[in-house]
Amino acid sequence: MGVVVLALAAGFLTYSLSVGGVHMKRGNYEIAAKFGEAGSLAPGAAVSVAGVKVGTVSEITLEPKTFLAVAKLSIDPTVKLPSDSTAKITSDGILGGAHVSIAPGAAMDDIKPGGQIENTQGAVDLFGLIGSVIRPQGGGSDAAAPAAAPAPAASQPAVSY
Amino acid sequence: MTAGEAARKVATNPVRVLGRSTLGAVRMVGSVGVFAVRGVTAALTPPWFFGQLMRQFVAIGFFSLPVVGLTAIFTGAALALNIFTGGGRFNAEQVMPQIVALGITRELGPVLASLMLAGRVSAAIAAEIGAMRATEQIDAMRTLSTDPFRYLVGPRLLAGVLMMPLLAAVADTIGIAGGWLVATRVLDFSSAVYIRNTLDFLQGWDIGSGLVKAAVFGFIVALMGCYHGYNAKGGARGVGRATTHAVVSSAILIFASDYLLTTLFTHAAQ
Amino acid sequence: MTDAIPKLAWKGVSKRFEGRPVLDGLDLSVAPGRSLVIIGGSGQGKSVTIKTALGLMRPDAGKIELDGKNTVNLSESARRKLFSRVGVLFQGAALFDSLTVWENIAFRLINADGVPRKEAKERAIEALEQVRLAPDVADRFPSELSGGMQKRAGLARAVVAQPEILFFDEPTTGLDPITAAAINELISNQVRRLGSTAVSITHDLASAQTIGDEIAMLHGGKIIWRGPAAELRTTDNPYVRQFVEGRADGPISHAV
Repeated sequence: MGVVVLALAAGFLTYSLSVGGVHMKRGNYEIAAKFGEAGSLAPGAAVSVAGVKVGTVSEITLEPKTFLAVAKLSIDPTVKLPSDSTAKITSDGILGGAHVSIAPGAAMDDIKPGGQIENTQGAVDLFGLIGSVIRPQGGGSDAAAPAAAPAPAASQPAVSY
Repeated sequence: MTAGEAARKVATNPVRVLGRSTLGAVRMVGSVGVFAVRGVTAALTPPWFFGQLMRQFVAIGFFSLPVVGLTAIFTGAALALNIFTGGGRFNAEQVMPQIVALGITRELGPVLASLMLAGRVSAAIAAEIGAMRATEQIDAMRTLSTDPFRYLVGPRLLAGVLMMPLLAAVADTIGIAGGWLVATRVLDFSSAVYIRNTLDFLQGWDIGSGLVKAAVFGFIVALMGCYHGYNAKGGARGVGRATTHAVVSSAILIFASDYLLTTLFTHAAQ
Repeated sequence: MTDAIPKLAWKGVSKRFEGRPVLDGLDLSVAPGRSLVIIGGSGQGKSVTIKTALGLMRPDAGKIELDGKNTVNLSESARRKLFSRVGVLFQGAALFDSLTVWENIAFRLINADGVPRKEAKERAIEALEQVRLAPDVADRFPSELSGGMQKRAGLARAVVAQPEILFFDEPTTGLDPITAAAINELISNQVRRLGSTAVSITHDLASAQTIGDEIAMLHGGKIIWRGPAAELRTTDNPYVRQFVEGRADGPISHAV
């Protein structure tokens, strides 16, 4: 009976790891992306392309001179990203965790290991936006604004650096 | 003494009864402490009895798997349903996988697995060692130049500390699987999304803190079984009493140390 | 009585249980190679006498001397060395239920003396022969044996390492007369073969006279009579007389 339990546990674990896309972390290559605002992005967060997980955020540090948040992304070696791809910090929903979504570009050459994604879009301060809309500016827009604000942060026009 | 006699005793002189029971409790803590030190010394210093150790690994570890597996899968499933309901009140059903995973790895996996073992293993140890005490087998062992702490207690303590985290890990996996089953079959979650959310959310220390707790609980379970069995007095009834005391004291100590450890881990993280 | 140092001696040993004195200034000694039987009524402290001698219990006062040296305050490791010179047959045989008979008999050899299992098993089977048990008993478990067979196995376990002193705690209690006689004979054979000193406690008089060179009677926490086994039935001591004749009334009154 104990063997059955062990087998079930092992089976589920293997299945999860393959579905979750957590293959061998070895062989992954690292690239960097600099953001003006890291938001709630944390090491371990997913990096995905077209909604499919291709890697994780391995480190987030502050670059002393430019005050930009430098995120190191550990990418699956089978995934090659065009050099003009865009990295965006986004989240699944209001309560979803922050992760990095990469929209591939059209360039012929790929980003090399140790390279950098040039085009980035930082995290959006959702509550700041809501606040600035709600704050007394004009009465009429108040009713409409809160309805528009809860839309996913990803579709908000944002400033990129 | 009977319940009536006890009640009368308390009514006539509450201060004395209070004083006596406090002293008794302190004495017991001291006695358990001394026993624990002897047991740990026996477990950590040579000579070791590897045959006994292996037997205990199997008895405490392997044979507890069915009970732990059953506990975990039903708990995980029920928890998933409840968290889903709760999350629904915030329109945040989507966080159910993460909360379930957190609850299981940090708390329910280690605690429930240990409680099941408190009932199963602690009682068995107390009964076995208690029966040995009652039939003079422990005295016999000493006269055969073998230290009962090295032969009986040490291996069981080591097995408790080492096997319980493994059992907790199995409980974690199967508990999350239980949640996954409910989520995918009953609540219309997508399997991949559920698993990805769980894996992305869980941090090493969520699982790690649960395993550290499990090691402490495993020690408690084995210690209480050995202590009460070793000190059983008075024949068959004494053995029965020892078994009951072992289970109850294990459970209470598990809850108390769970709270202390959780507090410790929470503060340490800040 | 010779001037030689007794093998084992109790000197002024006292022990109380819950305020009640069980041993009260006990003085007793056994010469090397002799067999002493301690008799007395139930609950008189016979077991306590053996347990204090072994060091399984600490006396409240007094000394226990082995070859003239006090053993009351020995450290655990020194006591373990003491135990290697001793063999004990407990009242219920006290065999380890989870081990086979041969593993029981060879327990000391395997776990304390570091003897390899194969050799230990051979010696265990030899010991089985000594107590007239068939070799196929070796792989059985204690729960499969009758009471008499368990006692024999316990005896084998006690003698396998050829101890200097043997202790027997009520060796024939609970056995039918025929089995009891067999056990008595085995005990006296083994004691004679090993040349060990033996201390037994019993309330079985036939056993006492078969296995003992000398008999001492314990009453009120003290030794009230001591003499050669042959004098047991001829002595004038009123306590011994009452015990031997099995009378309910006399100087020994029991709290029933």
